[in-house]
Amino acid sequence: MSLFCLIPAAIRSGALAALVLAWLVWPTNTYSSEQQTAILLVAHPAVTTSWLNRDTTRAIFAMRQRTWPDGESVQVFVLPNRDPVHARFTKEQLAAYPHQLQLAWDRMVFSGMGQAPNRVSNQLDMREKVANTPGALGYLEREYIDESVHVISME
Amino acid sequence: MSFQWSEGVSLARMRTALAWLGLLVFSPFAPAWANDSVFDTLQVHGFLSQALVITDDNNFFGKSSENAGSLEYTEVGLNASLRPHANILVAAQLLSRRAGGDTRDAIPTLDYGVVDYQVVSNQQRTLGLQLGRFKNPFGLYNQTRDMAFTRPSILLPQSIYFDRTRSLGMAGDGASLYHEERTQAGVVRFQAGVGKARVEDDVDLALGLNRFPGTLQAGSSAIGQVRFEDNNGRFLMALSTASANADYEGSQPPLDNGSFQFQPWVFSLQYNHERWSLTSEYALRTVELDGFNPAIDQKKTGESWYLQYTRRVDSDWQWLLRFDRLINDRNDRSGSTYEQSGLGPAHSQFADDITVGVQWTPRPNLMVAGEYHHVDGTGWLPLDSDANASAKSRHWNMLLFQLSVRF
Repeated sequence: MSLFCLIPAAIRSGALAALVLAWLVWPTNTYSSEQQTAILLVAHPAVTTSWLNRDTTRAIFAMRQRTWPDGESVQVFVLPNRDPVHARFTKEQLAAYPHQLQLAWDRMVFSGMGQAPNRVSNQLDMREKVANTPGALGYLEREYIDESVHVISME
Repeated sequence: MSFQWSEGVSLARMRTALAWLGLLVFSPFAPAWANDSVFDTLQVHGFLSQALVITDDNNFFGKSSENAGSLEYTEVGLNASLRPHANILVAAQLLSRRAGGDTRDAIPTLDYGVVDYQVVSNQQRTLGLQLGRFKNPFGLYNQTRDMAFTRPSILLPQSIYFDRTRSLGMAGDGASLYHEERTQAGVVRFQAGVGKARVEDDVDLALGLNRFPGTLQAGSSAIGQVRFEDNNGRFLMALSTASANADYEGSQPPLDNGSFQFQPWVFSLQYNHERWSLTSEYALRTVELDGFNPAIDQKKTGESWYLQYTRRVDSDWQWLLRFDRLINDRNDRSGSTYEQSGLGPAHSQFADDITVGVQWTPRPNLMVAGEYHHVDGTGWLPLDSDANASAKSRHWNMLLFQLSVRF
């Protein structure tokens, strides 16, 4: 009987030690982004809002806020999770990682607190959808921006 | 090329069929649906998970210790939502869940069904109100606890997210208020709800009242959560509390019509890095039975906590290491007083669980997971109405595999 009690204790302390070790030893890479073009927030041309602060932008992209500050319904557009532009946008502008944002959407969608964003397959598609959907909000690299969309400045 | 799960059912035919279904469910809103753009906001999502549970001793979710294990852990969910107006969301989800027990358990039930109205929505704050059956914001995982993709492991830490009195913690029928305030330091979110608790047969069983003819009738319940996230999205802190009440009716001697009260507190902490997360939650649970008879009346406080490390190897693979501890009664941590009183074995009053798990998500809509639990104690082992607690083994091991899909 005493032997049975000892084994789990040993495993337990071993597991805790491993946990601490994993935390301390394993490298945590941060990827330095090279010189890349800026990613800007873009909206449907009829949207009256001209700037958003970062927290509001995060709340809208996390699907927790459903309207523009003036009360108009917002339609969120995003690129696929694995698109490098999406990854850069979430990290640089939203201070989140794509997997965290996906988790935030799942938590909204499967708890009745919100809806999922609209997906677009690439930046050309993004520009077309944002330009043609009232209340649309998305993001584009500077070189994809033209007069069909309205650039929103971020605080 | 990659499958877009959020567009999984944008097929026109499916949309029309579901719109009709939605129309039946949400008919009070029908007049607002005159234009097509409302239908454009309709979203339908769902998930399905099937697990295989293998144990050496003790049964968990079916006869897991016999033959090749148990397949009696299945979760299926289907939800629909739409926005009839800029600041109104209507959403409902049906859930079918079998976790051992009778096949009748798999009959779909309304998991949530709400009308959500965002009263204030500007650059400084969001304030909203939910009416209907809302999911309780309890700890970090409760609101979506049945959806595998939102869990770090197949089983959530059982010390806090145990199954025994699951119906109590799931949802309330009433009203809930939420408020998000953006400050210099970060975002503070507050949510509070009042309503009627859901009390189903699991509570009767957990309290040992199932052998008597009476039934527990759901009383009032209240829940509240305050949550803070820093500006970098790295640090998250939450405090949740709830109070659920039920009254016993139809008692016969030796029982009187008593009342039952459940009051848990959970403190949650999480630190997120790009490649790893460290999560811990600590809970105190007070259970009170009053007015039944002196032998049954009791008040005790249980304690639960876990420490969990998850690491993302790459975008497809993630592994997890966790230590989880449950104590049923803080005044009797080893369960020895319980055993001496002749109520049952000491090991039914605690459980220490060491878990190692892995998740593989080759596509956004597909996940395969596996995990191993080494458990000392039977404190959160699901109760069967015919189970004999002393026949259970104190030390046991469990292996789980799960396949999950969603759209």
